Amino acid sequence: MKLIINGKEKEVECKRVSDLLDTLSLNKDAVAVELNKNIVHRENFDNTKLRDNNKLEIVTVVGGG
Amino acid sequence: MNDEKLKIGKFEFNSRLIIGTGKYANFDIMKKAHEASGADVVTVAIRRVNFDSPDENLLNHIDKNKMMILPNTAGCYTAEEAIRTARLARELGLPDWVKLEVIGDQKTLMPDNEETLKAAKVLIKEGFTILPYTNDDVVYAKKFEEAGAAAVMPLGAPIGSGQGILNPSNIKIILENAKVPVIVDAGVGTASDATIAMELGADGVLLNTGVALAKDPIRMAKAMKLAVESGRDAFLAGRIPKKLYASASSPIEGVVR
Repeated sequence: MKLIINGKEKEVECKRVSDLLDTLSLNKDAVAVELNKNIVHRENFDNTKLRDNNKLEIVTVVGGG
Repeated sequence: MNDEKLKIGKFEFNSRLIIGTGKYANFDIMKKAHEASGADVVTVAIRRVNFDSPDENLLNHIDKNKMMILPNTAGCYTAEEAIRTARLARELGLPDWVKLEVIGDQKTLMPDNEETLKAAKVLIKEGFTILPYTNDDVVYAKKFEEAGAAAVMPLGAPIGSGQGILNPSNIKIILENAKVPVIVDAGVGTASDATIAMELGADGVLLNTGVALAKDPIRMAKAMKLAVESGRDAFLAGRIPKKLYASASSPIEGVVR
């Protein structure tokens, strides 16, 4: 399945958001996820299904002013 | 001597200095600079996770018992980007307030007030406490206030430029008209810049580069703390009027002749 993650195409086999975060070895508590410009709440990571060509933003906190 | 606390929306703070987390050489220096600054608010940015070289979690280096985290929407060029960034920040478990910043020009990083106002209106409806970064423009300061912003944050000078308070008259005019706290954000290069902002009557100062890129960030953080306190005290104490001619400080009578 093709996903667009943070602006880049990625070929992955993940059914749900939580699978994707595991595959990417991300700490679920340290990221926030947007799917096709809508927030995926943390409690819905496990039950939000991914489809071909879905666009995801996965963000975290960094230094800034 | 007692001073009232800085109140922004539902939050109250002892320090009137807000400090950033960007551009430090390393987390250790940042942490020590934060301590030296006495600030109880620190700004952070929200960015895409870097899969190639994952960054260490910044939040592990912020003393969350002492400092409240203020996420920004820095780098956003449209209201939509800023709105999405603010929502993502809240989703990250950060407090539901935001330094709302929508940039209109890459070279000067001057704010796009029109887009910022658009984003502010949407986010305020969603329950966010909004602190908009704006030009030193009394008209937009009023518009933000009318829209329900909890503070207005006019720039002293372009972000990261260290030019100081370029137009003190505009800051003064904003201060005379605002009913919400006015925090001078951006342009503060050294301690005297922060003092000038506070002497004008600003409710606080937000800075990042002036400390982070100083030769000794920890010492500069301390200098900024004292500068903000000095400026605040001088403002409350009330300066003497400027006069063209001298006025002797020692008695004129009784001088040995």
